[in-house]
Amino acid sequence: MGGNCACAAGNPLMPHTATITSVTEETGDVKTFQMVFDDPAVMENFRQKPGQVAQISVFGMGESTISITSSPTRKGFLEFSVKRVGRLTTVLHNLEPGCKVGVRGPYGNHFPYEIMKGRDLLFVGGGIGLAPLRSLIDFVLAEENRDDYGKVEIVYGARSLDDLCFKNGLMKRWPNIKNTSVYTTIDREDPAWQGHVGFVPAYLEEIAPGADNKYAITCGPPIMIKFVLSALEKLGFPDHRVITTLEMKMKCGIGKCGRCNIGSKFVCLDGPVFSLNQLKELPPEF
Amino acid sequence: MTAMLIDNGNITKFLDSVARDRLLVAPVREEDNVVMFRHVTGGEPVCLDYLNASVSPREMFFPATEKMFAFSTADGGLQPAEPAKGKRVLFGARPCDVKAILSIDPVFSGDFPDPLYLDKREKTTIVALACTNPSHRCFCATFGVDPAGAEGADLLLTQLESCYLAEAITPKGNDLLEAYRQFFSTASGGHAAEKNRLAGAAAQKVNKLDTGGIKELLDENFELPYWEELALKCLNCGICTYICPTCHCFNIMDFTRGGTGGVRCRTWDSCMFMNFTRMAGGHNPRPTRKERLRNRFMHKLKYHLDRYNLPGCVGCGRCAGACPANIDIRQIIKELREVAQNGR
Repeated sequence: MGGNCACAAGNPLMPHTATITSVTEETGDVKTFQMVFDDPAVMENFRQKPGQVAQISVFGMGESTISITSSPTRKGFLEFSVKRVGRLTTVLHNLEPGCKVGVRGPYGNHFPYEIMKGRDLLFVGGGIGLAPLRSLIDFVLAEENRDDYGKVEIVYGARSLDDLCFKNGLMKRWPNIKNTSVYTTIDREDPAWQGHVGFVPAYLEEIAPGADNKYAITCGPPIMIKFVLSALEKLGFPDHRVITTLEMKMKCGIGKCGRCNIGSKFVCLDGPVFSLNQLKELPPEF
Repeated sequence: MTAMLIDNGNITKFLDSVARDRLLVAPVREEDNVVMFRHVTGGEPVCLDYLNASVSPREMFFPATEKMFAFSTADGGLQPAEPAKGKRVLFGARPCDVKAILSIDPVFSGDFPDPLYLDKREKTTIVALACTNPSHRCFCATFGVDPAGAEGADLLLTQLESCYLAEAITPKGNDLLEAYRQFFSTASGGHAAEKNRLAGAAAQKVNKLDTGGIKELLDENFELPYWEELALKCLNCGICTYICPTCHCFNIMDFTRGGTGGVRCRTWDSCMFMNFTRMAGGHNPRPTRKERLRNRFMHKLKYHLDRYNLPGCVGCGRCAGACPANIDIRQIIKELREVAQNGR
């Protein structure tokens, strides 16, 4: 684990310098930053797995833990979709292509994409929660991996039309890949929206995807997750085939600074990806 | 390994000599009778008649504020902090504090070894000072610490009638003895016997609390009304975490003074503080004093054991002495035992 981690001067807390190469405005408060390490060897050796996270530095401001939203099948850069919520993300949002940042990682475990092989996949996302799922979606939908997985269903919702992330994927790219369905919903009516209106958990129950031979992977706001988990249970998904990824305040990302623990587990090392049966073993402190 | 004697009168000379060649950290009595581990350069009085220092010597390896690297905001250029220079000696650490260093070693090693900590650790020779007269506040034996024991030390000093017995435990300790041999003389079997008698008496005297059933209780019960009761008193001031020898939490901060550069440091942090776990969006998994206090004591009595199979408390008693609200881990251990036995 540590051996594969990109850090400078042998210090796992010291990032490598990277340059922002493009910024995509996803919504009013979400931007996707594409970053490339300044040292090509660091870029080449950065081997993340879908679901892992990295620490992004804005020097002078600090660091934040952000999930890597690009799939490892897309090489030569990393993408991070970041919602503007706090100090660091606000400063990050002001950066433009060409600006220098720091990146270290990858950290944490990953989505169990090996044991998902041969299975159908159901993604359920809400708001910025699609960001970590996107790394796995693009991984399994990549041409070289597509035949390893069965049917892929993506159920995604946001508060409004403006709040839908990854519109290009949702509207164009993903629905055109074989054996892939995308279901998008927004919370409230909008004259410009012809699609479904309603909350994600209710929409999920309406679509009623079968649970046979299928993994469900979900991420979104806590209240959505809560109702999605109960909907998935009703649909017949066993706990070990329900996967989610947790968000926690982190500083080091490597199990030392002590703040992302849930009981004896550190989310940065033992997570962020947990199956529902693992989650039920943990104290409810997240 | 070698065992030697050093006369009381020679200790200062020995330390002055060490301070000339190496970075020496030793207990010093400061204003208001406060004993602290300080960098001493020779000549100043080192305190030898202390129970323990107010703040644990973990600071020698894990400073309260430590520069990790300098950065340029202009071009993202990074300059790592200079590695620790030369050999170091930590003199006078008590066996509980030495055991605590062993307890936090795996935090800073493992899959992501921390070079700043490990470098200082490797370059430091630990000279422990046996507790021959532990206080009523000490309960190190509860967690398997021998108050006059040498676990984790390179050299163990034990005060005898008119001299100290110095026992080299590791090659590093032996090297230190050899390098300053002129201050030491040969020990006899009688000295070893005297030391053993004192060590035995210390082990008899020190409190050994019964922790039976506590781990099992905490394994099974995350929610206990007891935590709520206790949290009513807690001020979340964080002094317990500041002085604790096994607390290892830190924050990472950038410091700039205008211009185009700055430094990134890590600083001690505390799970007692509300912002410790508060996320940018406002969600806080440990929103009240109850969750934060529970986390601290669960860390000491369960989490650290679960993760590293090492005690998260070494019974130094500092937190019980310093808490402005009289929250006392010894009392907590007793009361958790009662909860375990009586179900409340």
